[in-house]
Amino acid sequence: MANKNKSKSKYLEKYKQQMNMCIRCAYCFEKCPVIKEVKWDTDGARGKIIMSYGILTGELEPSQYIADKLFRCTYCRDCMDRCPSKLEILDIFTNSRAQLVDAGFASDTHKYIINNIKKTGNIYGDTEVITPEQKGKVPLFIGCQYLGRPNKTKKYIKILEKLGIQPTVVKEICCGFPMEVLGFKEEYEKHKEEFKKKFPFKKAITFCPTCTVFLNEGHKIEAKHVLQVILDKLPKVNLDMKVTFHDPCDFSRGLKIIDEPRQILEKLGVEIVEMKNIKENSRCCGGGGGILMTDQELSNDIAKKRIYEALETGVDTLVTSCPTCETTLKKAAQEIAETDGKTIVVRNIEDIIWRGLKNA
Amino acid sequence: MKIDIIKLKKIVGENNLRDNIADLYVYSSDASVHTSKPDVILRPGSIKEVQEIIRYANKNKIPVVARGAGSGMSGQTVPLKGGIVLDMKRMNKIIEIRPEDVLCKVEPGVINDELNDVLKPYGFFFPPTPSSGKICTIGGMIGTNASGNRSVKYGATRDAIIGMKVVLANGDLVTLGSNTIVDSSGYQLAKLMVGSEGTLGIVVEATLKISPIPKYRGMGVANFKKLTDAGKMISQTIAAGIIPSMIELMDKVAITALNNAQNLGLPNVEAIVIFECNGMVKESIEYEINQIKEICKKNNGSGVKVTYDSDEMTKLYYGRKNLFPSLSKYQDGLFTTALADDMAVPMSRIPDTVSKIHEIADKNKVVMSAYGHCGAGLIHTKILMDTTKESQWQGAKKAVKEVYDYVHSIGGTTSGEHGIGFSKGPSFKKEKKDSLNMMRSIKKAVDPNNILNPDKLMDSPDDWLTATPLRYQVTK
Repeated sequence: MANKNKSKSKYLEKYKQQMNMCIRCAYCFEKCPVIKEVKWDTDGARGKIIMSYGILTGELEPSQYIADKLFRCTYCRDCMDRCPSKLEILDIFTNSRAQLVDAGFASDTHKYIINNIKKTGNIYGDTEVITPEQKGKVPLFIGCQYLGRPNKTKKYIKILEKLGIQPTVVKEICCGFPMEVLGFKEEYEKHKEEFKKKFPFKKAITFCPTCTVFLNEGHKIEAKHVLQVILDKLPKVNLDMKVTFHDPCDFSRGLKIIDEPRQILEKLGVEIVEMKNIKENSRCCGGGGGILMTDQELSNDIAKKRIYEALETGVDTLVTSCPTCETTLKKAAQEIAETDGKTIVVRNIEDIIWRGLKNA
Repeated sequence: MKIDIIKLKKIVGENNLRDNIADLYVYSSDASVHTSKPDVILRPGSIKEVQEIIRYANKNKIPVVARGAGSGMSGQTVPLKGGIVLDMKRMNKIIEIRPEDVLCKVEPGVINDELNDVLKPYGFFFPPTPSSGKICTIGGMIGTNASGNRSVKYGATRDAIIGMKVVLANGDLVTLGSNTIVDSSGYQLAKLMVGSEGTLGIVVEATLKISPIPKYRGMGVANFKKLTDAGKMISQTIAAGIIPSMIELMDKVAITALNNAQNLGLPNVEAIVIFECNGMVKESIEYEINQIKEICKKNNGSGVKVTYDSDEMTKLYYGRKNLFPSLSKYQDGLFTTALADDMAVPMSRIPDTVSKIHEIADKNKVVMSAYGHCGAGLIHTKILMDTTKESQWQGAKKAVKEVYDYVHSIGGTTSGEHGIGFSKGPSFKKEKKDSLNMMRSIKKAVDPNNILNPDKLMDSPDDWLTATPLRYQVTK
């Protein structure tokens, strides 16, 4: 019995103290995008911690039902900001997911993504990804999301070069975040070694907020997001635009990058009309944590709430700085345009920067 | 317990019923130390659905426990006898706002702070201000007669309830109270429901008295080398005829926990008092704040700081607001448990009570923190202990009894705002021994089959420690 329990809890044992520290005060409910939509205690952070504790103690058997609940999280980090005990909530979830994957409860969609990474080095399973390899002065990590959008990548690299930064681009592989967050720990450990060989740098510029966080936290690479690097180099321009800005979770709560995008837009002569929930209180786009792959309806409902919030500002453009946010919010905006007749255009900040540099 | 899942699904809809073991496990606990599984969780969306569920439950003698955020600390929403948990979150509409009559009508699943967000443009707020306001529901606040840091000026939920609609144990819908601020029309049944912890009926709509948002606010903080000086400062402030809108105490344990959890850099003193005055006339706020400053100094208060800036006030109060869950960072290996979590004592006995709490803690080898809305005589404590050790639970049990025995001996009461549930059952029954039969008669009259949150309050088990499994893994 003891051995059976031990194998059920090998990933969770080290979080026992933390889970005991959880008062079950429900403060994590406050802005949890999942619980705001779903309205079941089980699906919120507290419920997930309780279920994780149940798995650890053996009171709950791992099951597909529990796996479905534990994977119902966008990793927006809002609960971590709210938790007065400062629990490492997302670490607990990641290890719970690992426990469930270990017990055979990974979804087919997640397995497909992981296999893609293992076989091709990217989440799409694309064997023909063209990495714009080049020798420069500063290592650049592009990430799957941008490699899968070659025009965006080209644009961002040109932005860097116009501002006097010569990036070094190597044939890279996925940062590995999907493997870690989806509970494929053993696969991630192997992937980490491969990643180190392919990207042997101690510092890097990045395009994707999630990659930025993960390069720093997972790979201990000093990674700076491109917006942090170009802010001081941008010329002042007057684009005479009015937009609202959506702070990606990995920016505002992960990396604490809050001012830079706003300062960039200000430099470009773009006026920001802020939404109600901004900066460290930014609301999730519904795209993170793997939820986009397995819970599209929930992801879309969360994204639509954000679009409605953006529509309240009265502007016609929403700008963000994350490719995942851009994708989910664009889809939600399209649906709202069709159902409600209310429109807002979703743009990534690199478009605005590019427009600014062309006008400079 | 045999429950007709198909019938219940027909009432609430397939998506509003859950009986998976994982859901039952999650809903078996709240913020208390207890755990007991329900048989099914339902999310009603209307009064009609609640009535149908209750009629079914009553006919089949199935217990029913209503639940909001599940943030109760005394086991109010732990279903001791299994049965049905009614998760009221779907009933979350703000039905009507009538600032001209200083009232609003809401469904029980409305969250306190979200209600205040909606009331703000009208210039009003709902005055009970629990620390859990960002997540707790109006229904839960009614159940426990919740109050908070502004109870010294505005009172508790009962003082802000004008009327309500309640589904009784037989499924009947009754309208209690009125739509007027004053009401002397017979038994005050709406007020009776407040604090009844779901044992007399299911509240499905509440009419709340709202208060104008004060135009001006000032806040101050003072440090005290001696806990007793802090206690004296509080009672002298109230006795001087000043009605602050808030007066809060934090002891050394609380201060250490906050510094560990939140990195607030609070000074290393025995006690910190935070006070606030609010109102419509700036000069009178300033006068009251200055009076309180003088009382602080008279009682050896140091580092007295005052601010009228709202950002500074938010910073000043941030720690206190997050204190309860932060206590688990006081010391490695000690975890916060909601035991002896609140009480109310005569104002003049605050200093004695706080000292006694620490004495009892030391004697029973647990750590207890004292803090709370002491301006209303309300003291919160938490027991910090190694929850894995049986010996610590025995120490905690003794400490709980001794704390409440002391509180009763000085004319205090078992709960100021968190309610009884069954964690505080033994002490409550001892305190109210003269009126237990009256309470039971009322309960029997409105709930003859005892389906509504059974075994709570006056019917709670004699030993809270063994009434249910604990939600911790305890080794002998």
